Amino acid sequence: MRHVRGFDIARPLSIGMLVFMMMPLVFLPLASIFIFGTRTGLEKFWGALMAPEAVFALKLSMATSFWATVFNVIFGLFAAYVLSRYNFWGRNALIVTISLPTAIPTAVAGFALLLLWGPYGTLGRLLTPHGFQIMFTAGAIILANIFVTFPLAFGVIKPVFDTMSRSLEEASATIGATRWQTFWHVTLPSLRGAIVSGALLTFARAVGEFGSTILVSGNLAGRTQTAPLYIFAKFNEGQIEAANAIAIVLALFSFLIFSVLFFARDWLDVD
Amino acid sequence: MKAKETLIPRREEPVNHAVPPPAAASVVGISKRFGKTSVLENISFDVAEGEVLVLLGASGSGKTTILRIIAGLEMPYTGKVILHGKDVTELPARERGVGVIFQSYALFPKMTVEKNIGYGLRIRKRKRKEIKQTVDELLSLVQLDEHRKKYPSQLSGGQQQRVAIARTLAYKPEVLLFDEPFGALDTQTRVHLRREIRALLKKVNVPAIFITHDQEEALELGDRVAVLNVGHIEQIGTPFQIYNQPATEYVATFLGAANVLDAVVRQDFIEVGAAQIPKTFDKDEFKPGDCVKIVFRPEDVSLSRNDFLRPGYARLSTAIIDEVTFIGAYERLRLRLERAGGEECKTVESPYYLTTETPDREPTKWIIATRPKPEASSTRLHVGERVVVALTSFTVLRQQVTRGTN
Repeated sequence: MRHVRGFDIARPLSIGMLVFMMMPLVFLPLASIFIFGTRTGLEKFWGALMAPEAVFALKLSMATSFWATVFNVIFGLFAAYVLSRYNFWGRNALIVTISLPTAIPTAVAGFALLLLWGPYGTLGRLLTPHGFQIMFTAGAIILANIFVTFPLAFGVIKPVFDTMSRSLEEASATIGATRWQTFWHVTLPSLRGAIVSGALLTFARAVGEFGSTILVSGNLAGRTQTAPLYIFAKFNEGQIEAANAIAIVLALFSFLIFSVLFFARDWLDVD
Repeated sequence: MKAKETLIPRREEPVNHAVPPPAAASVVGISKRFGKTSVLENISFDVAEGEVLVLLGASGSGKTTILRIIAGLEMPYTGKVILHGKDVTELPARERGVGVIFQSYALFPKMTVEKNIGYGLRIRKRKRKEIKQTVDELLSLVQLDEHRKKYPSQLSGGQQQRVAIARTLAYKPEVLLFDEPFGALDTQTRVHLRREIRALLKKVNVPAIFITHDQEEALELGDRVAVLNVGHIEQIGTPFQIYNQPATEYVATFLGAANVLDAVVRQDFIEVGAAQIPKTFDKDEFKPGDCVKIVFRPEDVSLSRNDFLRPGYARLSTAIIDEVTFIGAYERLRLRLERAGGEECKTVESPYYLTTETPDREPTKWIIATRPKPEASSTRLHVGERVVVALTSFTVLRQQVTRGTN
């Protein structure tokens, strides 16, 4: 019998096993969203998607996630700069604190925000009499999104800062650039890839946020109901098609973002 | 500190400036500490317009720190940096107008070659036309016209270095500082590039300071060389001076191989063990009874089978050949000096013991001699043979006393 050079039986077996294991865990749940969502016909699906409350929920999710992302990318950039450029007492404690929010259950995060900003909260108690109430508004959703996605952009940007050669910035300074010019022309372009992927990660995570949002938003349809909350509410009301339509959109959206992250890696890091 | 014996006329040093040209860059009494560790002590030197000064030292000698202080990337503990008559010690790096060529070149990876070169002018808000013209000129000066649209990662090490130089020349720097510029390159490219850069520097007439640990590079590149040793300057002079008239044992041994022998100054001669060699230096410099060191290079040693010496040669001793090695262009011999003992001076063991080619001193006296090819092939010498050792040239140094702070 002729041997096929380099043929290794473990290869097809292990690949097959991997796909097989992922079937019930990932592929089938995702597939069922699409199967259920389109079972009653595309027209029904479109109708469910275009329901005013559904459209509002999607828009609200996008808007709140967008602002949370903007904030966290700028903050992450700043925090990464400070924490990789300066060495000071308490630096490691700060790094751990920044990274903490991802480890905290999202319901706890929402609860913590309520305890601070709510009508009877530590700060809220003082602010509410002056007509300032941020809880149960879109602002609360943004706050919750910021909290739970806090370390994502930072976590992507900081390692790039750490490995960036100081001599680039020193060269720029000796050439005559101010700190700001150096940051804008030299540092920032090298961070482009990290910023884009940090932003996409943050955005994807924020759009899907549920646990903290449901606590701080009040879940008011057409006012503070985000897309994940809408799915939950419609499911509870027994309107599976309505829930399903939004679920498909969110699933596709995540798929898109992670495809960009994966396939654009080369482009993002291009020298 | 030193006196030079020239027993036979040597090719004299090329013309020296009668009046030193005004300094383009000066460092005055610089010292630097990191915490409690002193890394630089009282460093002072000048660089003239168009001159190339090389700071030569082993790693840890403080040479990079000096460069960073001149560039404004590090603050000195004491002392001043003066560029074209202006005290810039307190100015930040960006206001000094110095050009630094970093060891890694530090080219901006996301900018093309022409963008890198034009960077200094762009941030100075110069007109687009002016920038383009300067960039074009510099591109042809460093011969990179066809690479203008490339990114640094697409260039070779030598090309990147030329971009780095052009990038600093664009804003007409007061002084160019090169931080071990050839460190990352292979030997062949290195030799080629340093000739190229030397020619380029003469063309643009900008004063330059190089730092290196490579003595050959220092001798070839520098109009003058400053030899640094643990934070202070041992000697500063032309390559000819520091090689042929080393001021200290450290300089002698750091720049190539050197033989060092203990000796005592007498009324009419210098006593090296049992040998007496003539003393022709200024009377005042050493008194009879002074302990000194005789320093001579392997090529300053003349070997012969008989006592017939050419006039001007100083007979040192006889020696037994211990080892003969063929090293390409010349032959190297290791010799054991006979009757060279009998120390009268209690030698303070020198703290510098860097050159592996410096022969052991105790208890037998070893010296290294080299002979050029023609001599080696006309008079073959063999291991075990007894020869007469004479010196064609040597330097007399005072015994190294423990160094205090400058």
